[in-house]
Amino acid sequence: MNEAIKISRLTKSYGTHTVLKGLDFCVQQGEIFALLGINGAGKTTSLECIEGLRKYDSGSITINGIMGIQLQSASLPKYMKALEAVKLFAKWNKAPLDKAALDTLGIYEFSKKPYYQLSTGQKRRLHLALALTRNPDILFLDEPTAGLDVEGQISLHEQIRQLKAMGKTIILASHDMAEVENLCDRIGILSGGKIAFIGTVEDLCETIGKHYNITIQTENGTEKYESENIGDSLLSLLTQYREKGETITDIQIDRGSLEQHFIKIAKGA
Amino acid sequence: MGAFLYGVSLQWKLDIRSKTLLITCYIVPLLFFVIMGGIFTSVMPEARYTLIQSMTVFGVTMGALIGLPPSLVEIYSSDIKKVYKANGVPLFLGLALTNISAYIHLFLMSIILYIAAPLVFHAEIPENPGRYFISLAVFIAVSLSIASIIGLAVKDQAKTSMFSIMIFLPSTMLSGIMFPMELLPEAFETTGKLFPATWGYKLMTECVFKFESLFPFLLFFVSAVVICDILLRRIDK
Repeated sequence: MNEAIKISRLTKSYGTHTVLKGLDFCVQQGEIFALLGINGAGKTTSLECIEGLRKYDSGSITINGIMGIQLQSASLPKYMKALEAVKLFAKWNKAPLDKAALDTLGIYEFSKKPYYQLSTGQKRRLHLALALTRNPDILFLDEPTAGLDVEGQISLHEQIRQLKAMGKTIILASHDMAEVENLCDRIGILSGGKIAFIGTVEDLCETIGKHYNITIQTENGTEKYESENIGDSLLSLLTQYREKGETITDIQIDRGSLEQHFIKIAKGA
Repeated sequence: MGAFLYGVSLQWKLDIRSKTLLITCYIVPLLFFVIMGGIFTSVMPEARYTLIQSMTVFGVTMGALIGLPPSLVEIYSSDIKKVYKANGVPLFLGLALTNISAYIHLFLMSIILYIAAPLVFHAEIPENPGRYFISLAVFIAVSLSIASIIGLAVKDQAKTSMFSIMIFLPSTMLSGIMFPMELLPEAFETTGKLFPATWGYKLMTECVFKFESLFPFLLFFVSAVVICDILLRRIDK
């Protein structure tokens, strides 16, 4: 697989505060890659440097392909209608109007509405359509489903999967771990201005180790336990409860969530 | 070129949909014309000789200084500029399109005044219409260039209105369209020369082109273009 993006030793400071301290990572062509990090980790700065919206101090960024960018906080003139915006951007980029893509994104449902009358979901879809006007090879999506209802999120996830199926490389920034787990091939976790982890969600779980949450409900209440050896822990707990003479009414076991693993990496590095 | 022309026509439509520009470029100047035109020609019958010029100076100054900056603030002090930049649309496009569209609206409003003033108030048509319209074209361009500085330099709509009014009021009051310049105290007369409206009124009422009347426009325009370029670079950072 070829690299769509290669970042080497990227540094960026704001005054005396160094945000990126030698960032290194690659994104492969055709994959959905999520860049994660707690607030202030340098996620937005990294993305803006890659997108060319912000100058960096040193290092190198190699982009193989045309970029399309959907910003998290984006706007258009109040009275500009959805289809007018798409036409303006397409004409300026000398690109034909991709009616099939507009149809897939459902732009025609609100094409004659001025921007200020669009719902949050419609605005997100419109900005995604604008990012697609150049027929990009690499698509940046910054918090694409923020502010959307469940139906809107499901619909947008489906559209993102369709874009991946078309061979596009997608770089996603998101706070929604379920979304990341659901959509992404690989993730990169930023911590302290560097990549603290890069790999698949499964790799992340392996890195952290097997981790289980056990919830036991009895007539007297609910108790929660954490375990790395589910077999031994469960046997021991059942024995303890039997010895105490308590009747177990329900047991729930789940593997640690991506959130828990993410927080361990992001804060631990 | 096709993209640019589409942008101009789109901006023209956006301006028509925006009530701000409709009010500042058409409704207020034309209402001012109806009321003040009636008063001027009743109180001073000789005002009809310069009525077209004085009402046009008021309308263009108002449309440019009060009407244009909010459109620029909307683009350059919001996330719109980031969307433009991120999707390959150059940053100067917003400035160019809003200026061209406002130029067309102000020229149209001036033509309405040119036609209506003789019919309603028996105003005198300028001796040389060709020369008058060239002077008008220069005056509109310079007024818009000054308005562009306000729109690019100020970050929010409330402050924009304040700065626009701070320039608009002395521009119209001291330009000679309300009181003859000679009757103003020297300090006010000198202050009036700092604004394009004064020179615009002079240029449009003169019978022949004089370099000394055009020179201030050149100075205003070049300075404004340089300042706008600096402000756009600052916004781009």
